[in-house]
Amino acid sequence: MATEAIGVHVDGVSKRFSHRVKGEIYAARDVRLDVAPGEFLTLLGPSGCGKTTTLRMIAGFEQPDAGSIRLGGQDVTGLPANQRNIGFVFQNYALFPHLSVFDNVAYGLQVRGQPAAAIAKSVGDVLALVGLTGYEHQFSGQLSGGEQQRVALARAIVIRPRVLLFDEPLSNLDAKLRVQMRTEIRDLQRRLAITTIYVTHDQEEAMAVSDRIAVMSQGSVVQEGTAEDLYYRPASEFVATFVGRVNLVPGRVIERSGNTVTVAALGTTIHADTGHSAVTSGAAVKLVMRPEVLELVDVAVGAFRADVISRTFLGEKTEYLLRCGDIELQCVRHNSGAGANAAIREGSAVGLHVAASAMAVLPEPTR
Amino acid sequence: MRRDPAVAVAVVALWAMLLLFVAYPLATLLGRVLFDQNAFTTAGIVAILTDRNQIRAFWNSLLLALLVGGGGTIIGFLFAFTAARSRLPRWLLTAIDAAVLLPLVSPPFTTAIAMIFSFGPRGLLTYELLGLKGVTVYGLTSTLSSEILTYFPIAYLTLRPLLAAIDSNLEGMALSLGASRWRVFRTVTLPLCIPGLANAFLLLFAASLADFATPLILAGNNFPVLPTQAYLQITGLFDLRGGAALSFMLLVPALAVFLLQRYWVSQRFYVTVTGKGAGQAPFDSISPAARGMLLSACALVAATIVYFYALLLYASLVQALGANHTLTLRHYRVIFTEGLRVIGDTLIIAGLAMPLGGLYGILLGYLVARKQFVGRRAMELVSMINYALPGTIVGIAYLIAFNDPPIELTGTALIIIACYVFRYGATGVRATVALLQQIDKSLEEASQSLGAGSGTTFRRVTLPLILPAFFAGLGVVFIRSMTAISATIFLVSISWTLITVKILENITELSLGPAAAYSVLVVVIVFVVIALIGRGLRWFRAPGSLPVTSMFGG
Repeated sequence: MATEAIGVHVDGVSKRFSHRVKGEIYAARDVRLDVAPGEFLTLLGPSGCGKTTTLRMIAGFEQPDAGSIRLGGQDVTGLPANQRNIGFVFQNYALFPHLSVFDNVAYGLQVRGQPAAAIAKSVGDVLALVGLTGYEHQFSGQLSGGEQQRVALARAIVIRPRVLLFDEPLSNLDAKLRVQMRTEIRDLQRRLAITTIYVTHDQEEAMAVSDRIAVMSQGSVVQEGTAEDLYYRPASEFVATFVGRVNLVPGRVIERSGNTVTVAALGTTIHADTGHSAVTSGAAVKLVMRPEVLELVDVAVGAFRADVISRTFLGEKTEYLLRCGDIELQCVRHNSGAGANAAIREGSAVGLHVAASAMAVLPEPTR
Repeated sequence: MRRDPAVAVAVVALWAMLLLFVAYPLATLLGRVLFDQNAFTTAGIVAILTDRNQIRAFWNSLLLALLVGGGGTIIGFLFAFTAARSRLPRWLLTAIDAAVLLPLVSPPFTTAIAMIFSFGPRGLLTYELLGLKGVTVYGLTSTLSSEILTYFPIAYLTLRPLLAAIDSNLEGMALSLGASRWRVFRTVTLPLCIPGLANAFLLLFAASLADFATPLILAGNNFPVLPTQAYLQITGLFDLRGGAALSFMLLVPALAVFLLQRYWVSQRFYVTVTGKGAGQAPFDSISPAARGMLLSACALVAATIVYFYALLLYASLVQALGANHTLTLRHYRVIFTEGLRVIGDTLIIAGLAMPLGGLYGILLGYLVARKQFVGRRAMELVSMINYALPGTIVGIAYLIAFNDPPIELTGTALIIIACYVFRYGATGVRATVALLQQIDKSLEEASQSLGAGSGTTFRRVTLPLILPAFFAGLGVVFIRSMTAISATIFLVSISWTLITVKILENITELSLGPAAAYSVLVVVIVFVVIALIGRGLRWFRAPGSLPVTSMFGG
């Protein structure tokens, strides 16, 4: 059912709401997004950051106060939702409770006036695709959460939408099913090559499904990039702390040469790649160190030393909380078998080493 | 929101009708009371306020409403608590429900007639069994008992879902902390019910304040109340202005109760009634002794109701109750010959008002709950006015407004039908709004995203889901069209009259046999129609749709 994939362009879109206490607030503020044909883009952010509002404006459920939305070459800003030909998967699935699985999935095709035989075939095909053959005559009340999710998905894709939109589709499922469903959604999207925009507050889910992630905060997109970009090259403290766990180590730039800076931090000097940031000599910065990039080595060999405050064995990995001066550092080591990492325990001293390329440098915001 | 032409047309049409059949009559009524030949005057009000008899009627009305509100709420709570907490077998619950339903679906004065049959000068109990002579049934006590029996089911129906919705774990928790069952009831269950009790009290207060037929039959000359005074002023003394002024006096407390209930009590509920029960209590929340007492009390009340209705049936089947107890079908022969036209008129009017009122209810309810337009809240409020006001006021307002050009409707069936649609259609509005609040908006958005316009979405998604509210609206409009009297007694004419009015005539002429026969007929017709509507509801209801909560609450 491949149709020509199209791009989505959200251009300077804003949406205001009046709030009882805070007065006028922006749910979305000058949001710009460019989604390539066939791309899987995720809007990631904490609740209230405007990701769902942005998605609903793309779907046509909300009207932007400013800006424009284009699907392919077509400006759809003023077009009602029912004329946009998009597929929308709701957080609560929104299955019609009075219709059977078959009628739920057939709904969009019936609205389009397709002949009954063609509808029966399309519905059969798409139910097979999501693994629900034989469920045609069930009602949504009789289905499990995962099955309801699949019906919602089938109902959205059977109309061959130009764009597929997901609003936190997995948040009502249990942890195991969530992992399984996100893989299925990803596979299906690849197979159908439909341009997809996906909203979630779960950073792991975002990293698992997306080609590209746009992180939103307070109504605006604060950084866009691949999961790896966001994780290792965050552009702000917000992104660094929101995506994954992180150690933010304060320091001061001593010297810059090319793309490498030397930073005074943790009572020693640390070399780091600058990445995006344009820091200069003398600037206050924060070093972004992910827990797994801290290498635990012998005290004698390490660039600096730290004391082990606590040790937590978690099966595949062991987590350490370290103290270096007045800074606490989180550190993760993979366990290669019984007894691995056993030597490093609470109260012992360790040496630490971090590769320059494994860190990012964030300038301290000037006040 | 985008302008939708279908919505705009519907909104304009509804406003036009609301203005014509709600705002205009009320404005005319106020105009008649407060203006004389285009000059503002309070003479009409002053005349009442200085008339000791009318002042007494005013206080009597309030006293009666207060007592009915209190007594009815207590009995309603007793029933609701017993039904919700004492783990009754299904058949017993059904039996209680049926006994409680009887007064709700009968003409409001049926119990009053039964009171006369039982306790009157020639009553079964007073005269036949006890041999008392010259007893009088008329006065506050009998009016009060009759109204409590008639209206406590309203309290029962509003309190029972509330009690069922209280999370039984709350009570279990209190019990596990060492509180006795009585203490749990006193400190947890009852406080959670207080907003519901206040709500029930206000509903009963309003019902009693508005009740016209019961006092007319039972109150007698020594206990005048406002609605009957207004009626007598108009039909007895042909004093339209005086009647209007009296009904205006009634308007003040009625409006106060309505606003109190809507804007104060309704926002203070701790428990949300969602339609799905919280399940059976995980423990015995009442002791066997308390259960026995509750059951006996309920059984006593239920037995009284059943006795009254049995007596009514008996009275319709004998020559003359209290004098000649030979069985006969004479009274039924009378109503099916002389009374055939009245029965026909009533059925035509109820049959026309039912679908119109049902449609009006879901259309207005849907627009108000789901669409954005200027004056949305005002529209909902206006649609409730005729329902909230005592029927006497509405009847007199219609009488004054539609008696003369430009809109002359007196003597037509239309005026009665309009009165019913805009008075009782409000139940459909409320049912629709309540049901839509339980249906997530995303269902309609899903339909929209799949390509359906607002018309298709309404027809294929919203309508099937609010069908239970539509049927509830149909049921209530039909039942009230068959049983109501307070408003329409002012609107009947030589060409179009109603069974209820005929019953009242029969009672005043002391032909009690035909009155009983008419009453039995009305109860039978209403029960048959309710059964049919229930059947229709099951027919239309797909397995997945939402359950409908009580149809007749309030």
